[in-house]
Amino acid sequence: MRATDLPLPSSNTSKWAPKFESLQQAARWFACLRSEDVTDKDRAGWRAWHEQHAEHREAWKYVETVSQRFENLQPESEQHAAAAALKAAQRVTRRQALNMIAILAGGGMLGWTTIQHAPLPAMASGADYRTGTGEIREITLADGTRVWLNTASALNADYRPSLRHVRLVAGEVLIETAQDAGRPFVVDTSQGRLRALGTRFTVRQFDGATYLAVYEGAVEVRTAGNDATQVVQAGEQVTFSSDVISPPMPAERARKAWARNVLLADNIPLKDLIEELARYRRGHLGVTPAIADLRVMGTYPLDDPDRVLAMLESALPVQVRRTLPWWVTVEARPTGR
Amino acid sequence: MSANEAILHNQMHQLYSSHHGWLYALLRRRLGNAFDAADLAHDTFLRLLLKPLDFDSFGGARAYLSTVAKSLCIDLWRRREIERVWLDALAAQPEALAPSAEHRAVILETLFEVDAMLRRLPEKAANAFVMAQIHGMTYKEIAAELAVSERMVKKYMAQAMLNCAMHEAGIKADFSVDMPYVLCK
Repeated sequence: MRATDLPLPSSNTSKWAPKFESLQQAARWFACLRSEDVTDKDRAGWRAWHEQHAEHREAWKYVETVSQRFENLQPESEQHAAAAALKAAQRVTRRQALNMIAILAGGGMLGWTTIQHAPLPAMASGADYRTGTGEIREITLADGTRVWLNTASALNADYRPSLRHVRLVAGEVLIETAQDAGRPFVVDTSQGRLRALGTRFTVRQFDGATYLAVYEGAVEVRTAGNDATQVVQAGEQVTFSSDVISPPMPAERARKAWARNVLLADNIPLKDLIEELARYRRGHLGVTPAIADLRVMGTYPLDDPDRVLAMLESALPVQVRRTLPWWVTVEARPTGR
Repeated sequence: MSANEAILHNQMHQLYSSHHGWLYALLRRRLGNAFDAADLAHDTFLRLLLKPLDFDSFGGARAYLSTVAKSLCIDLWRRREIERVWLDALAAQPEALAPSAEHRAVILETLFEVDAMLRRLPEKAANAFVMAQIHGMTYKEIAAELAVSERMVKKYMAQAMLNCAMHEAGIKADFSVDMPYVLCK
């Protein structure tokens, strides 16, 4: 590993501020001089800038270093392979994002061995509204907008004269916006901004992706990374990373039952139900592969996960093993009992 | 060892003993390979050493470590992909001569560097920069290729160069920075 890969020991940004300004100017001059339409006046302007200050000359050195990096790749014989390799590298990260979206959109977020949920991120502890594991709470914002916070969630509200702005820091919310024609309602997540167009919708923050389901009205998604936009209509759901939005799929209406403290299972695999339930209790909750795909139907109380486990035991050929109080596995019930 | 160093050492030791297990398991699952997993777990803790953070909770440390580990995984995948595609593309060229070990090392190292510089850029800005810097295309040609205005290409070039220069200078880039285009018409 090279030193340049490592984070800086100091993150004091103000120290870098003047340098950043100069680098920014140097980068603009580079873009200007590189153009086929560059004029003598531009060149003179650059020379004046370059001579003006030692820091400008230092900033320009970085531009030259960057340019030199590409020299090895410029010969005709190298160009094609180099560009192809760089393109492929871009796809790796893109594929990671798409993989995650495919997995999320397909339902099962995690393998059976790893159904466990991290506590709220550190940021969430200072949030305006938050819920603990297993808690579901309804709040009303200043304009009458109703928000249900699902388990382990955190939300900040920042209402301004011209904008109703909330930020989902963690977890999941169901939002029913109040009418206010003059003030847009927006929700920010780590991956982008949602603009509600008079509406009822659910937003969930995953690690690296946001899930959105719209039940009434419509919501415009704008990704943080590249400003990709899409309007999601009532009855649709999408998942997006900071630069990719999945194609819209039919929204799972059953999902929003959590706002009524109910987990609605409409013929879903047991592993999905267990995964969902795991969000509401602390510790590990797993299901063995042999029974992971058993189909489950019914209405389950989210405020009492242990009762749900008992209900499953009586309805399905499964048993609940409590290895430790916080380590629970649902497994096949031995036959002959 | 000073008192501060001793405290740091002790903290690292504690972090290592409480987190190495799950981190290694996670990396092994993601990479499907014990050697890579051990390497990356090691590198992840190395980053912590260089930037000691004071975690107030197990969850905080875990979140930090898994974020670093994830980015190292992607790093590794990107490097492997670059190597694979570069060698394939070279082999497919009709006049293909097997590159010498030295040439190969130089070019791959350059590609890793360039990829690291371009990584956080929006796709179009990165593509514009590659077209200009590697293929020597004009802004007009790039604009046609990307279906954007020449003005936009110029903006992409400035944005890309700024990110690359910041990477080169070791400044953590703030990619939310908007770049209004004012210096030259």
